[in-house]
Amino acid sequence: MLQGALAGLAAGGLYAALAVCLTLMSRLVRVVNFSQAATGMFGAFVAVWLVTAAGLPIWLGSVLGILLAGALSAAIGWIAATWLSEASTTARSAMTVGPLLLLISLSFILFGNKPQPFSPILGGPAFEFGGVVVSQVTVVMVLLAVVVAVAVQLILTKTAVGTQLRALSERPTTAELLGIPSKPLSIAVWAATGVISAIAIVIVAPSQSNDATSLAMLIVPASAAALLGGFTRPGLAVVGGLALGVLSGLVAQIEEVALIRNFLPFLFIVVLLLWTQRKEVWDSAR
Amino acid sequence: MGYVLSISLSGYFVFFAVSAVTAAIALLGLGIVTGSAGMIALCQLTFAAVGAWVVSLLNVMEAPGGFIVWLVAGGIAAGAAGILVGLPALRLRGVNLAVVTLGFAAAADVTLQQIQFPGSKDGIPVERPDAFSDDRQFFFFSVIVLVVCALGVFWLQRSRWGASWKSVAFSERGTAAVGQSVRTAKLTAFAVSAALGGVSGGLLAGQVQLPFPSSFTPIQSLALYVLAVMSGTQLIDMAVFGGIMWVLVPELLKRFGIPQDWGFVIFGALGVQALTSGTNLGEEIRNAWWKRRGRVAPRSGTTAPVEAAPASAGPGARGLDDRGGTHDGGSSPAAAPSPSSPLAAGTAGSGRPAHGLALAVDHLTVQFGALKALDDVNVEVPAGTVMGLIGPNGAGKSTFVDAISGFLPQATGTMSLGGTPLKGLSPTHRARLGLRRTFQQDRVPPSLTVGAYVRFVARRHVSDAELADVLGFFGCPSAGTRLSTADIGTRRLIEVAANVAAKPSVLVLDEPAAGLSHEEHVALGERLRTLPSTYGMSVVLIEHDLDLVRAVCSQLTVLDFGKVLASGPQDEVLANPAVIKAYMGETEML
Amino acid sequence: MSSLVVDNVTVSRGAGPVIANVSLTVTPGEVTALVGPNGAGKTSLLDGISGVVGVSGGRIVLDGDPIEKLSRVARVKRGLLHIEQGRAVFPSLTVRENLSLTARTGADMDAAIGRFPELEKRINSPAALLSGGEQQMVVLARAFAAKPRFLLIDEMSLGLAPVVFMRLLPYVEELAQSGAGVLLVEQFTHLALGIAREALVVAGGKVGYHGPASALRDDSELLHRAYLGGSAA
Repeated sequence: MLQGALAGLAAGGLYAALAVCLTLMSRLVRVVNFSQAATGMFGAFVAVWLVTAAGLPIWLGSVLGILLAGALSAAIGWIAATWLSEASTTARSAMTVGPLLLLISLSFILFGNKPQPFSPILGGPAFEFGGVVVSQVTVVMVLLAVVVAVAVQLILTKTAVGTQLRALSERPTTAELLGIPSKPLSIAVWAATGVISAIAIVIVAPSQSNDATSLAMLIVPASAAALLGGFTRPGLAVVGGLALGVLSGLVAQIEEVALIRNFLPFLFIVVLLLWTQRKEVWDSAR
Repeated sequence: MGYVLSISLSGYFVFFAVSAVTAAIALLGLGIVTGSAGMIALCQLTFAAVGAWVVSLLNVMEAPGGFIVWLVAGGIAAGAAGILVGLPALRLRGVNLAVVTLGFAAAADVTLQQIQFPGSKDGIPVERPDAFSDDRQFFFFSVIVLVVCALGVFWLQRSRWGASWKSVAFSERGTAAVGQSVRTAKLTAFAVSAALGGVSGGLLAGQVQLPFPSSFTPIQSLALYVLAVMSGTQLIDMAVFGGIMWVLVPELLKRFGIPQDWGFVIFGALGVQALTSGTNLGEEIRNAWWKRRGRVAPRSGTTAPVEAAPASAGPGARGLDDRGGTHDGGSSPAAAPSPSSPLAAGTAGSGRPAHGLALAVDHLTVQFGALKALDDVNVEVPAGTVMGLIGPNGAGKSTFVDAISGFLPQATGTMSLGGTPLKGLSPTHRARLGLRRTFQQDRVPPSLTVGAYVRFVARRHVSDAELADVLGFFGCPSAGTRLSTADIGTRRLIEVAANVAAKPSVLVLDEPAAGLSHEEHVALGERLRTLPSTYGMSVVLIEHDLDLVRAVCSQLTVLDFGKVLASGPQDEVLANPAVIKAYMGETEML
Repeated sequence: MSSLVVDNVTVSRGAGPVIANVSLTVTPGEVTALVGPNGAGKTSLLDGISGVVGVSGGRIVLDGDPIEKLSRVARVKRGLLHIEQGRAVFPSLTVRENLSLTARTGADMDAAIGRFPELEKRINSPAALLSGGEQQMVVLARAFAAKPRFLLIDEMSLGLAPVVFMRLLPYVEELAQSGAGVLLVEQFTHLALGIAREALVVAGGKVGYHGPASALRDDSELLHRAYLGGSAA
C-alpha cells in the first residue's frame, strides 16, 4: 500500500505544479488554459531533441526548452490579451483548445508519436521510508509544487506587482483606468506558468509515460486538482494534485479496480463539480 | 444525389465519402452544443466510440433487428452517456463542461485501448444491412442517415428546444426569466449532440466493420471541435462542408507528400483565428448574403417605432405625435392604443382574479456582504393596476426585481403571486406561474428571429395574427426580422412585447424605455397604461421620468436606500412630505 | 495651458450611436457638470474619453495631441483619470493596497490618507468591509494620490445617502482647486450644478444645453426643457 502511495507521489507533484499554474491563470488572467501541459510538453521535447540530436549539454538543452515553453505560452497569452481582452472566460478558454491541438500535432510531426528518449536529470533514490525507496524525482517534484504555491502566494500578497495583478483580476477595466499595464502583466503570467509547467515536465517526464498525447493530457488530472481549490486557491490545488497522485498510485496496486484508474481524474472532477455546485448560482454577467 | 454519387465514385473515393458523411453527422451534433448553445464539448468522438461500441456489441450478440436498429441503439446509448457526463457540469458555465468532457475523452481513450471493441479480437466484422452491403450501397445508406439526421436537426432548431439553446447561449438569466429551465436547455443540447455522435460512430463501425480505438482519440475530438467552431456547423450545409474538409485536408496533404498531422496543425491555427474573432465561415457567408439582399430591421436610430410599425398594427400605431411632449398627467382613454381582438379576447376568460392582490411582498431583505440592498421591504401590487417603482439610482430597484423574480435565493421575507407563495421557487418556476420580468441589460438572443423569440417567450401557441398584433401594438419590426439587426432600444421593446404575449399575471418592467427617444418613451408609457384593461395583467414599472410615472401609474412605491419610503395610490404617495423632501426636492427632473 | 477638448465625438454601442456629436472643453481648475436623464449616454461619453470603449467619430485632444487612438493606460500616463460608476474599489485589496495602485511615493500615499481621517483607522481592512461612503473615499483618496490633470467622475452618488454624498463633494472641489480639470456626471443635478462653472445637459444622445451652470441653477424651466431633449442652447 505504502509503496503504491509513494509511487504516485511523483506524478502527484507534477499534477500539483500544473494545477498551481492553472489556478494562477484562472485567477489572474481569466482562462482555463487547456494548452498548459502541452506547452510544457513541447518545451520538454525540444529539450530532448537539443540534447540527443544537437548534442547540447543536458542542462543547456533543458534551459532552452523551458524558455521556449515560456515563449510559446507568452505567444498564446499575447493572442488572448490582444483579441480576447474583454471576452468571457469561456471564450478565452475555448481559444486555448487550438494551441493544444496544434502543439500535439506539431510534436507528432517533429518528434514522432513515440515516447521520447528523455535522459533523466535526476535519478536514484533520495531516502528510504518504511522500507520503501523514495526517489529524488519524487522529493524534488513535491518540493517544487509546494515552493511554487508558496512563492505565488508571497508574490501576490507582498509585492507591488502582486497587488497590481490582484487588482487586475478583480476589476480589469478599473485597473487599466488607474494605469496598470494589463497586457504586459498578463503576458508575463502566461510566460511564467509556461516556464513552470515545462520545468515540472522536464523533471518528471523521464519516469512517466512520455509520449506527446499522455503529457498534453496531463491537463485533465491537473484541472481536477485545480478544481479542488476552485481554480482560485493554489494551496488546495497542491493538496488536490498530491492526493490524486497518491490515489492513483494506490488504485494501480489493486488488479480488480485497475480500469477505474483511467477514470480517476474524471470522477474526481465530477464529484467536485457536484459538490461545489450543490447550490444554484447565477452568474452576475449572464 | 447520394445515389448518383454512390455509383459514379471510384471505390477508393467511396470510402472517403462515407468518412465525410460520418464526420458531417458528428459535426452536426457539435454544432448544436458549440454553435447554438455556446458550450465547449471536447469528447464528440468518445460518444462516437460509444455508438460504435454498442453497434459492435449488438453485432457480436447477433441482436435482433440488424444494423439499423443497432445504429439507433448506439445513438440512444451515446445520448444517455451524454446526459450522464453533462449532468454534473451543466449547472455552471461552459468551462466546466470543457474540463469534464476532456477528462471523459482521455479516460475513455485509455480504457478503450485496454478493452477494445467487442468482436475485434476474434475478427467478427460488423454486419451491414442486407440492402446496403457493398461499399457503394453503404455509402448510399450513410447519405440517407445523414439526411434523416439533418432533417431532425433542422426541425429541432426551429422547435422550442432550438430556441432555448440559442437563448441559453446568450444569457442564462434571460432564459430562466422566460420560464425555460437553463439546465434542460443545456442538457437537451448536449444529449442530442451526443446521440448524433453515437449515430456517427455506429455508422463508422458499419463502414470499417472492425472499429479500432485509434479512430476515436481525444486529439481527433479536439480537432473536430475546432472544425465545428470555425465552420459554424449549427448550419446544416456547413456541417456537410466540415465533413468534407475532415477527409479532404489530410487526403490532399497525403497527395503532396506532406505528413498528415499538418492537417491538425492547420485546424489548430485556423481554430485560434476563428475563436479569437468570434466568427465562423458559415455565418460570414450568410451575413454577406443577407447584406446583399439588404434585409435590415425597419426601425433604426431615433425613428419613432409608431411610424415604422407594420400596417397590421391598426389603431395601436396611431402614436401620440399629436400629443407631443405635453403628457398632462390626466388620463385620456381615447388616445390609448388598443390591440385588435385575438390576444385580448384570449385573456378575458382566463379566470385571473380581477381584484385582490396580484403580488404581495412582505419583509423582503437582501444583503450583499455588509450592505443591505433591500431592508424589510413591503410592497403590495393590487390586481389590474400599473404600479410605478421609483427612487434614485442605487436605491435597490433592480435588486427588488431580481429578488421577486427568484435570482437572489439569499433574499429573506415572503412573496406571493396571486396568493401562491413564491418562497424557494426558481426563476423558471416563478415565470411559469405568471410572474414575468424584463431586464435593463440586453438579454434578447440575437440569433433568433423576432417571431421565434416572441413564441419562445410566450410559452404557448401564438397564431400568426396574434403575433403580428402584439408586435404592432408595441411598434416592433415584423416577425421575420432577425434580432441581430435590431438596435438595442427596439430589442427591449420586443422583449416587452414578447412578455406581454406570455400573458403573465404580473409583468415587471425594469426601465423598458432606456435607449428610446422622448416621443417613443411617452408612446410606450401610453401602451403600458392599457395593459391591465386589455390583457388583465398587473404591471410593475421601474421608470425615471416622473412625468411619465404620473401619467401611467395608478400606484406608486418609492424606494430609497433599500427601504420603502412610501407606497400606495399615486396621489397619496406624491403628496407624502417624506417623498417630497427626499425625492422631489433634489431630483425632480429625473 | 493644458486642456482636454472633446471635439464632435460620437460613441456607439451595438447597433447604433448612444451619444452623438458632443463637443466640450474641460478647463483645469474647474468642474464641468454633465447631467441628463438616465440612458442619455453620459457614461458612454466618459467611457469614450478614457478609452473604455472606442469612439466612432470625432476627436479627443489632450494638450494639443489627439488621444482617441491611444490605449487606456497611455491616456492615464498623460494625466487622465476616470472614476467609474458605482464603487470602483478592489474589494479584496486593503485600503492601503488600493491606494498603492496610484501612489507613486510614500509621501503621495500619506498625503492622500491624511485627507481622510476615517480611512486612516481602517487602512489594513479589505475595501469590501467598508461602508459605501468609505469606499467612495478610497476612490477619492486614490484620485488624490494619482494627481491627475484631468478627472472624469461618473455618478459618484450611486447608492449613497445625499448626506454622505454631500460630504464627498467638497473633495471633488478640492481636486479641482489643486489644478485638475473635472468632468462630473451626476444624477443629483442641483448638487452637481452647485459646484460647476460650466454645464452640459444631454438627453436622447444629444446635447440639449451647453453653457454656464449658474443659468441652469437659476432657471428651472430651462433645465426642464433641456432634459426633455429640446435644444435649449
